[in-house]
Amino acid sequence: MRISILLSAALLLSAPAWADTRVDDRHAIASGGRIELSNVAGKVTVRGWDRNDVQLTGTLSDGLTLKPEKSANRVRWEVEYPRRSNNGGATLELRVPRGVEVQLGTVSADVDIDGVDVKRLQANTVSGDLRAGGRSGETALTTVSGDVLAQLQTARLDARTVSGSIRAGGGVSGDIGAQSVSGRVGVDAGRTQRLAVETVSGSVELSASALAPGGRISAQSVSAPIVLRLPRTVSAQLSVKSFSGSIDSQAGTVERPRHGPGSSLEARLGAGDGDISLQSHSGSVRVRLDR
Amino acid sequence: MNDHRDQGRPEPAGRDVPSHDEALRQRLHALPACMPVPPDGWDRLKAALPPREDVSAALAAAPVARIAPASRRRPRRWAWPVGGALAAGVALYAVLPAVMQSRHPASIVPTTLQVQASAMTEEYRQAMAALPQQRVADYQPALAELDQSAVQIRDALAQDPRSWHLLEQLQRTYALRLELTRQAAMAATGLTT
Repeated sequence: MRISILLSAALLLSAPAWADTRVDDRHAIASGGRIELSNVAGKVTVRGWDRNDVQLTGTLSDGLTLKPEKSANRVRWEVEYPRRSNNGGATLELRVPRGVEVQLGTVSADVDIDGVDVKRLQANTVSGDLRAGGRSGETALTTVSGDVLAQLQTARLDARTVSGSIRAGGGVSGDIGAQSVSGRVGVDAGRTQRLAVETVSGSVELSASALAPGGRISAQSVSAPIVLRLPRTVSAQLSVKSFSGSIDSQAGTVERPRHGPGSSLEARLGAGDGDISLQSHSGSVRVRLDR
Repeated sequence: MNDHRDQGRPEPAGRDVPSHDEALRQRLHALPACMPVPPDGWDRLKAALPPREDVSAALAAAPVARIAPASRRRPRRWAWPVGGALAAGVALYAVLPAVMQSRHPASIVPTTLQVQASAMTEEYRQAMAALPQQRVADYQPALAELDQSAVQIRDALAQDPRSWHLLEQLQRTYALRLELTRQAAMAATGLTT
């Protein structure tokens, strides 16, 4: 009797595991084709591999179904949820070939991308975190309240969040844009053609190993501090403004109007080829030439 | 100004009066002591004056009418200095605000940017009112953050009403708030965004 009760309890406890649905799907896709994955909750992992097909594996919680759409140049998987319930979500792993476009969308599911070498990478989430590593020709990472961590080689990065943080490095270069409302933004860039960062109250910490000829760096914040680190050899016209914050720069002299608030700094760095503009309403601004 | 310009100017040589000044003085002396009034002069002057009874009524109604009649008043030596000071005070009262306004227009008249910000805020509120307000847990923290940020930017704009970058920040914040509100509404209905 006691044994039967224990067996029944064990069966009940293991019932949810039985309800999960295994996913194992594979599709041959042309070079440069597009792979799309949409999942509300759970987790999405993306890894690159040296094969020409794309593979999706993982588990779906009870009640969830996978809806595939496939063609030679495009494959799309969407996890369909029962209305007003995510039932625990789906845990999925995507294996992608080189040179494809990857487009991911989630609501609360975290997205973890690494070891990829793709033409284009785009990931959107609402409250999930985005982590991207590897190599991508063009990258767009957008979350509402999650964090963005981009440690990848890319010549074009656009990262956006509202209340999460943004950290980018590991070979980010070229054209970089980062927007946050209250989260901090940290970008450690290589050779930069354009670096544009905007926040409202999130602190900004930027560095670049070089500024391309005619390159531009701009950072704007309402109340947060801005720090920029560049090599001493940089060639640019530097313009710094703050309404009520302090300015601390290793180049140029801070000017203050005789009457009224505000301070500014204009300086020519090297030959003055590029443009650097830093502006914070009430936050401090620091410029260091020691990168 | 003239004092500064006159400084350093050489004095006229000796006390000789220039010949043209003497000629002018003689011509002035030769003028008649009083000019005869033209025959119709008083009629023309009377026609130009207001009706006599209106002036009397106005004087009677005004508090100053109880002071001695104008015909019996005698010119007082203090009238001009006091009147001048009063006029100067009135002029100062009238002109000073205009001068101060030209120096600090932001504190009195809204700048173009402030007007634009107000118009943008009004349009944003109307747009928000038109959207269904759904509470979706995944979106709530960010929406609250955007509302606080908009207040913060408007406060900053009040301090620095000529900052284009603050106006642009406000525009982006409103646009993002509207977009996320729309997305939250669609998510609540089960539609993908």
